[in-house]
Amino acid sequence: MYVTRAVMEKIDRHYERGVKDLAAAVAKKALEGIDGVDYVLVASSLSYVQEPQLDLGAHIAYSLGLRGARAISVEAGEASGLAAVELAGALLKSKASRVLVIGVDKLTNFTSAETYAQLSLLYDEGVNMYSSGFGSVAGILMRLYMERYNVDRLTMAHWPALMHANAKHNPYAMLRFAIAPEKVLEAMPMADPITLMDSFPLGDGAAAILLESRPKEALAELAAVEAAVGHPNVAWSEDPLHIESLALAYGRLSEKHDLREVDVVELHDSFTITALMILESIGLAEKGKAAEAVASGRFSVNGDVAVNPSGGLKARGHPIGATGVYQVAEVALQLAGQFPGLKVEGARKGLAVSLNGFGSSSYVAYLRGVE
Amino acid sequence: MMRVKTPPVVWRSRNHRYKLVGSKCKACGEVRFPPVHFCSCGGEVEEVELPRAGRLVSYSIVYAADEESRERSPVIMGLIDLGVTRVVAEIVDASPEEVHSGMQVEAVFRRIGEDGETGVIAYGIKFRPAVG
Ligand SMILES: [Zn+2]
Repeated sequence: MYVTRAVMEKIDRHYERGVKDLAAAVAKKALEGIDGVDYVLVASSLSYVQEPQLDLGAHIAYSLGLRGARAISVEAGEASGLAAVELAGALLKSKASRVLVIGVDKLTNFTSAETYAQLSLLYDEGVNMYSSGFGSVAGILMRLYMERYNVDRLTMAHWPALMHANAKHNPYAMLRFAIAPEKVLEAMPMADPITLMDSFPLGDGAAAILLESRPKEALAELAAVEAAVGHPNVAWSEDPLHIESLALAYGRLSEKHDLREVDVVELHDSFTITALMILESIGLAEKGKAAEAVASGRFSVNGDVAVNPSGGLKARGHPIGATGVYQVAEVALQLAGQFPGLKVEGARKGLAVSLNGFGSSSYVAYLRGVE
Repeated sequence: MMRVKTPPVVWRSRNHRYKLVGSKCKACGEVRFPPVHFCSCGGEVEEVELPRAGRLVSYSIVYAADEESRERSPVIMGLIDLGVTRVVAEIVDASPEEVHSGMQVEAVFRRIGEDGETGVIAYGIKFRPAVG
């Protein structure tokens, strides 16, 4: 199966546009000159709280003029986007030949404080009952990482700095300005040792990809998507810094595909610590070494493997249920040499990695370039 | 809008929140808090009361706390090793300067929240620095 179209909206505080407006903007471009689709999959998550609409997939499909198409709503928290892509892949292998996947989400219909409180719904009830605020678990994990591996706060700050440096060139990114690592430490504390600069901005967004089983031409091949569920509560992990569900999903994928020498990765850096945990859980860095590797430039666009050339969740933005669709769109465009921001020259293999929380579910998509 | 704490929701979780009751697998012995319906090995579970003393593994000082906790901000959240399992819980009766990884803590019964609309007050277990 192949990605034949990839469309994104700039992530922003789109006060003037609702879920249907955002979805229509990307779907219209993705369907230009296309004679119908078999399925429309709509990935969304926080919109169910901020702009409630049940049977969202069908409502959006109809609003696009796709009367008679089959529509499915996909909600899997922060991983909704990649969950929809996985489901699209299964449909293409069985009964569909053309599937439109739309990721759309809304995070700005409420105040930031209200939105952060709503985002705690992504986590397990056991962690949640203290109303402790978004970021508390990430803060616990970040301190554990720094104390266990003896990594200082400034070294950790190279991740957000790299994300901002990359996003500066991405026209669809929400935060298009560079920051020095020192600025991360000076920002408002969120969940110490985490500051606001370690986490993603609150923005709305929509992205769409068209997937086809036998197209005449394509941006990239969607070789496979794997997934696994895992501990909903970090207290239950043998090692809270290891994302077991991700290692499992990645392992399933690498059994069937040669994932060595991947050129580009778009991964789920909901917090600085999440990025480091992902890099270490899929073996792109040794345990305890990811922060130093980031600081040394190993994951920059001209490094060993380009990680988040889009700017990642941190600076491109993280419209919760839509993010996975952005990631697949970005990787496909990189493999086609058409990404409008920092390009990964000659990229042949790409991964998109998405999680909910710290791995209550994990998804990995593997994409290959086409001639 | 937050997680809704209506009277039935608060009532049905009282046991594990009031008494620190978790689940223990009858097959492999794995302990979980809050309790689960099945062990991750697939085994059946029974209720078990957890030890009330443990060691702080790591913690976070949370400033951007929810509205209902904001008057107490910053709130300290900790990952606590109880030996048989670990839990994430709030740390009380300690200032941010006093808290450190590795310190001994013990369970105390405290108010954990109130629903603004229904006025329902929820109580539960928190941890404080071990006395003596
Ligand atoms: Zn068991």
